[in-house]
Amino acid sequence: MYRRNEVSALLVVVVLAAVTAGAQTRKEFHFRVHRRASVSIVNQYGPVSVKPSSGKSVLVTAILYSDKAEIDQRHSGSRISIATHLLPGADADSGRVDYEVSVPADASVTLRSATGPLHAEKLHGDVILEGNTATVDVRDLSDGHVHVKTLNGPVTLTNVTDGHVEITSVGGEVSLMSVSGPFVHVNSNSGRIIYDGDFGGGGEYSLMTHTGDIEATAPAYASIDVLASSSQGQVVNDFPLQPVHTSFAARAGSAFAGTMGKAASSVKLLSFSGKIHLKKR
Amino acid sequence: MTCDEFERVLPELEGGHSSEQEEHLRSCSSCSELVSNLNAITDNARLLPEYEPGPQVWNAIETALRQEGLIRQPQLQLVSPASSSPRWRFAWLVPIAAAALFGSGLFLIHRQVDRQFAVKPAVTTASVTTPAEPARNVASSADEEQILAAIAARAPAMRASYESNLRAVEAYIRDAELSAHDNPNDQIAQQYLTNAYEQRAMVYEMAINRAMQ
Repeated sequence: MYRRNEVSALLVVVVLAAVTAGAQTRKEFHFRVHRRASVSIVNQYGPVSVKPSSGKSVLVTAILYSDKAEIDQRHSGSRISIATHLLPGADADSGRVDYEVSVPADASVTLRSATGPLHAEKLHGDVILEGNTATVDVRDLSDGHVHVKTLNGPVTLTNVTDGHVEITSVGGEVSLMSVSGPFVHVNSNSGRIIYDGDFGGGGEYSLMTHTGDIEATAPAYASIDVLASSSQGQVVNDFPLQPVHTSFAARAGSAFAGTMGKAASSVKLLSFSGKIHLKKR
Repeated sequence: MTCDEFERVLPELEGGHSSEQEEHLRSCSSCSELVSNLNAITDNARLLPEYEPGPQVWNAIETALRQEGLIRQPQLQLVSPASSSPRWRFAWLVPIAAAALFGSGLFLIHRQVDRQFAVKPAVTTASVTTPAEPARNVASSADEEQILAAIAARAPAMRASYESNLRAVEAYIRDAELSAHDNPNDQIAQQYLTNAYEQRAMVYEMAINRAMQ
């Protein structure tokens, strides 16, 4: 009797899994491209993940969760455009499509999604990611331009080097872990900015918010020319800075400026009313 | 063809000259010079900016022409084509006078318009004037309402999110404008303002893209 119940339960599970899998449709698209391909994916609902491929080809694997979504694809030379086309009645569940994309490492990639999440890794072309509430996760990129735009989704960049990084966020938290390069610029409204790196590369770093807090952690050997100010928030500095001749007026507790080491990189930590803390690792 | 005959048909030569008229132009230097002057007036009139003159300009032209006896009330009488009426000798003055008066009228109007625009004070990006602010707020509010309405039509569930984000961005713009106004030479204040507008542009762009999908 006990064994019969087990078998029945297992049968129900298997049937349910089959039914569920049957509602999903898997599609694959394969494109041959040349140098510096351009790949664009627009997907309202569902994750998009981009990784490098080994050759000169782009492989797109899409899983559609219902027949309320179609995939429109265009290929012209080395330009590829994939867009999820939602049919009437589609919602976040029925309109969901999961994408896994492999592109040449030097390809330019543009990902747009409302809910995401968006993921890109190990690329060295230009990468543009846009999302409303989508979680954006970028790791192990180098040399290219990285542009991220989000309304409220959290943004995490990890090990992004020698790149030109621009992030604009209204309410999403922005975390930069081991991010360095000639230009790193974060423009946030209420989202918090967390930086943990060495401000290396002799670059220009600008972390600015309206009301969000800024927390920057750097090693004792960091070589920076730093300026930090908050009109209404508290500003704390853990580093012994060398004073600099500047028109900027330092105010204890709300603004400081100075250099560390050879002052190779310029660092600006600015907030209207958020708290700023420059921590020593 | 005589000079009188040529001057009689002169107003009708816009479409081109007949062979007889061409021959007369080649042989008569005064008629040739007259046609050349008229063409120059026509060409220069085309270079003037296009302003529609008011009715007073046309009235002034008509009055001047009447005073000179060049136009009068139309009369129903048959005029023999063979008779050479003295007043037709001066018929070629009509287009010249009209063009000259028309050009003068346009010149006067153009000067008035220039003076009008020169009076307005220059507006710098760093300054925030009290009269301008309500106008900007009205314009941006109208834009926002349009965008939010478009979002609501396509994705009603997202309207609240976009509205909330726009409110946050507008608050940033207000603070940044005030700071830039109080510290016009402060580069950091200018950067805050740039950032705030950048955020608004981003929200608008994403909302429009969303509404169009």
